[in-house]
Amino acid sequence: MEAFIIEKTEETPEIILNPAEHIFKISHRSLPENANGFYAPVFEWLEEFRQNLPDDDIQFVFELEYFNTATAKQIAKILLLLEKISHEVSLEIIWKYRKEDVDMMSSGLRYSKLLDVEFSIQEIEE
Amino acid sequence: MAEQDIEKIGYGFTLFEGMQKDNLGYIYRGLFTQNITDSIISLAENNLESSGESSKVKKRVFSIMVECLQNVTRHQTPQNTICEGPYQAGIFVIQNHNEAYQITSGNVVENSTITQLQEMLNTINSLEKDDLKAYYKQILEDGSISEKGGAGLGLIEMARKSGNKLFYDFKTLDEELSYFYLHTAISKNSESAFNEIDLNNIKNLHEIINRENIILIYNGSLNQEGLIHLLSTIESQPIGAVDVKKKLFNIMVEMLQNIVKHGEKKDDELGGNPGIFFISESNNSYKLSSGNYIKKSIVKELSEKIDYVNGIEGENLDMFYTQRLLNFDIDSSKEAGLGIIDLRMKSGNKLLYSFSEVNDTISFFSLQIII
Repeated sequence: MEAFIIEKTEETPEIILNPAEHIFKISHRSLPENANGFYAPVFEWLEEFRQNLPDDDIQFVFELEYFNTATAKQIAKILLLLEKISHEVSLEIIWKYRKEDVDMMSSGLRYSKLLDVEFSIQEIEE
Repeated sequence: MAEQDIEKIGYGFTLFEGMQKDNLGYIYRGLFTQNITDSIISLAENNLESSGESSKVKKRVFSIMVECLQNVTRHQTPQNTICEGPYQAGIFVIQNHNEAYQITSGNVVENSTITQLQEMLNTINSLEKDDLKAYYKQILEDGSISEKGGAGLGLIEMARKSGNKLFYDFKTLDEELSYFYLHTAISKNSESAFNEIDLNNIKNLHEIINRENIILIYNGSLNQEGLIHLLSTIESQPIGAVDVKKKLFNIMVEMLQNIVKHGEKKDDELGGNPGIFFISESNNSYKLSSGNYIKKSIVKELSEKIDYVNGIEGENLDMFYTQRLLNFDIDSSKEAGLGIIDLRMKSGNKLLYSFSEVNDTISFFSLQIII
């Protein structure tokens, strides 16, 4: 399946969904005015991906330094979709946060409690 | 809520009203660095773009803004680059009224330089356009460039490009320092010149801002693009520890996005929604205040929502957030239903708010968050 790539801007994250390279990552920051619209193509891609799952294990990485509340809901939706995918292929979610970023760590903790999926919260090595 | 609290946040409205009356399109007060200057220019650029101004006027406004901001940056701290006190923070204001863009800057200067500065300004104001050009050349050839790279070349440039006089005023601070206010106007219909300008309003405003220890203030129309530029001015601020700054940034995003998404316009103005945002500091705590118009019809619902969120804490607050997070019935381009709860959680304090009726359909909503 073809990779899905969005480059980062001052208000939106970098998104790399590349099955061939085994990279699934959302990083940088996310504060678009219309988060719903911004993430729509991501869901589209993930839904299609779900129909064409690879055999390899998947590590899906979130490495955000900041996201707004509108994005919080979109992340919840992505995670719930990944939970479904994890029923069909081995999938681990990795939630990275910068040292001392308590807010980002608690967000990861909150999401991990909502899901029945392998979920690892990791401090970024400086 | 205590009477006193309401009075305090209503202050935002008073400030906003005053600024609206004076058509203060954009105001910044704080430390001026290269990064901040860039953000201010981008923000003003964004506002100008959505105003539909002619490119000739836009260009002139930019070049004068740049000169003016460089002036403040260069001279904001006498002798050294360490800002010694908040009262030394510079101010920059751009207004759109009387068919012109009015640009005012204020910064601290040493009293000993005032006479020289006055002479320079008076000379510039006495010269016609062609003479200004000659004067510019003469100063360049003289080589009498000051330590800070000035020598008034910036001032001459401003006078040449604006086509108007440079208005100025001083206000003594103490034995050594004074504020220097500089104002010029760029007329939209070329040759209508200004002969008199009253700088008292801006001087008074500056005094209030200093008194309240407001470290950053923005008043103007706001859209998402402007918000991003405004955020980068806070990122460049030398305030607080990293985690405090991050918290300020997070809260600021939600407050400003509230204005962008839910704010209302009072008239049919172009561009974003009008609003005010400021951060003040006292006793190691920061107060973030925002104010914007909203539909009068949603006042009741909004107060109930805030009261409810204010009434819960700890685990219950956390549970309420999760519940809203997973409520996908509220999930549109405008609304995720999490903003108010998030602000309450991040601040750890109750949210202070007030409403003032503006007319039959519009109210003014002030919100204050303490961290």
